[in-house]
Amino acid sequence: MSEPIVLGIETSCDETAVGIVRGRTLLANVIASSVEEHARFGGVVPEIASRAHLEAMIPTLHQALKDSKISLKDIDAVAVTGGPGLVGALLVGVGSAAGLALGLNKPIYAVNHLAAHVSVDSLTHSNPLDPTIALLVSGGHSSLLQVDDITGSITKLGETMDDAAGEAFDKIARVMKLGFPGGPAIDKLAHDGDANAIDFPRGLTTSNDWQTRPFDFSFSGLKTAVARYLEATPDYKKSDVAASFQEAIVDVLLLKAVAACKQSGIDSLVIAGGVAANSRLRAVAQERCDKAGIQLRVPSPGLCTDNGAMVAALGSLMVSAGRRPSPAAFDADSSLPVTTVSL
Amino acid sequence: MGRVFVVSKVLAIDTSTSRTSVAIIDGDTVVFSGFRDGATAHGPSLPALVQEALAVSEVNEVVVGMGPGPFTGLRVGIAFAQSFALAREIPVRGVCSLDAIAAQIDEKDFIITVDARRKEVYWARYKDGVRVGEPAVDFPADVTGAPIHADLFPDMRSLVAFPGDITEPIYLRRPDAVATVDR
Repeated sequence: MSEPIVLGIETSCDETAVGIVRGRTLLANVIASSVEEHARFGGVVPEIASRAHLEAMIPTLHQALKDSKISLKDIDAVAVTGGPGLVGALLVGVGSAAGLALGLNKPIYAVNHLAAHVSVDSLTHSNPLDPTIALLVSGGHSSLLQVDDITGSITKLGETMDDAAGEAFDKIARVMKLGFPGGPAIDKLAHDGDANAIDFPRGLTTSNDWQTRPFDFSFSGLKTAVARYLEATPDYKKSDVAASFQEAIVDVLLLKAVAACKQSGIDSLVIAGGVAANSRLRAVAQERCDKAGIQLRVPSPGLCTDNGAMVAALGSLMVSAGRRPSPAAFDADSSLPVTTVSL
Repeated sequence: MGRVFVVSKVLAIDTSTSRTSVAIIDGDTVVFSGFRDGATAHGPSLPALVQEALAVSEVNEVVVGMGPGPFTGLRVGIAFAQSFALAREIPVRGVCSLDAIAAQIDEKDFIITVDARRKEVYWARYKDGVRVGEPAVDFPADVTGAPIHADLFPDMRSLVAFPGDITEPIYLRRPDAVATVDR
């Protein structure tokens, strides 16, 4: 099986997503989001997300099959996010994937959501993905990973000690009354602002931090600093705050990502996860990687946020690598560590 | 009944209680029957049971219990049933899980309750073998009027025997959430 056709299902948070790939070629990527139902709560409500997943699953599957112009019978394997994520949400995807796999008599690969985010770059760039350093930044995660083999060997170099980067965007957007999710709103507002207007703190970048926790992040201090600034400056300029806050996050993420490349001797960096859609992060990453001689890979913005194509992509890489499928009876793991690529 | 019944081997699935139940029913015959207990084990239990069932017989229809039941487990069964039916290109329909529990009770007037967590129960009243009104969720102290049969599991042959076609899960509760504007 040189070019496996794999269908991937992702339901770890608020997107019901189905992707289909043939080898490393994207055939379909359909996403039904319940984000609007969560907006008035200022965050994702697990039970609302889970109900929406069940409602959207069959229509999303149908649409993905239609877009891909293949029939279910052509599928060689089913892949699904087995964790980490909201357990009730994960289980809708896991139940559906198991039903499909048993219905089709095909193997099932329950894969790690975070590894899938990194693996989606294999659909954009044709050269081998690994070894690489990966900066994974989303609403739930901020980690630096060393990926020696995307289908089985991932080491965590560091992670956030408090808020995830995307969470910081959401919280600041909430304080500034910009709505949920906060990332796109701040990105847009920051275009008209001065990134150097306010010198917000860069967490865990003292010389002591570089010795003891070089690849960990902290965004809670930044969040507090922005909140204090807003309180102390009633006539603050929204665009300047957005740009300066965003700059502080982008700066510290890339300082550490480039340092990880240098320390490991790996001259490849993948930036993945929802925050990788941030236009400033993409632009500054390109500048700094060019300067440091690092090959930068960032998936197209549409593949950065949660999607099914990334799950299918990792499933496809697992099939091609000859990895064993998951057993029929596997359990979704809401806190699956990134070092466990598949269940 | 004026209706033509096609001979059908039905895969019956229910995950509305702490038990994951799977059966294959051929007319009146139970071809396969299995269950696994565990209120948070529906995810791994269901595929394992269906795999065992399919080793015994093929199927050409799916019937699934739509609850009421604790949400996360309930959804595993429904999601599985719908996707399995899609993959096999066979029909799937949903029935009320409480009705399949009630079918085992040979009394004139009674109430069926199942654990709804948070000290509440899902319940329905049955008279002369027929459900009276819609299922509800209440505190046990408020469920009165007839003998109560608590914490039984659905009878899978009865699940399949009901002609119903419920398309939405029977949740009976709104999702817990407070809008930020109300906080």
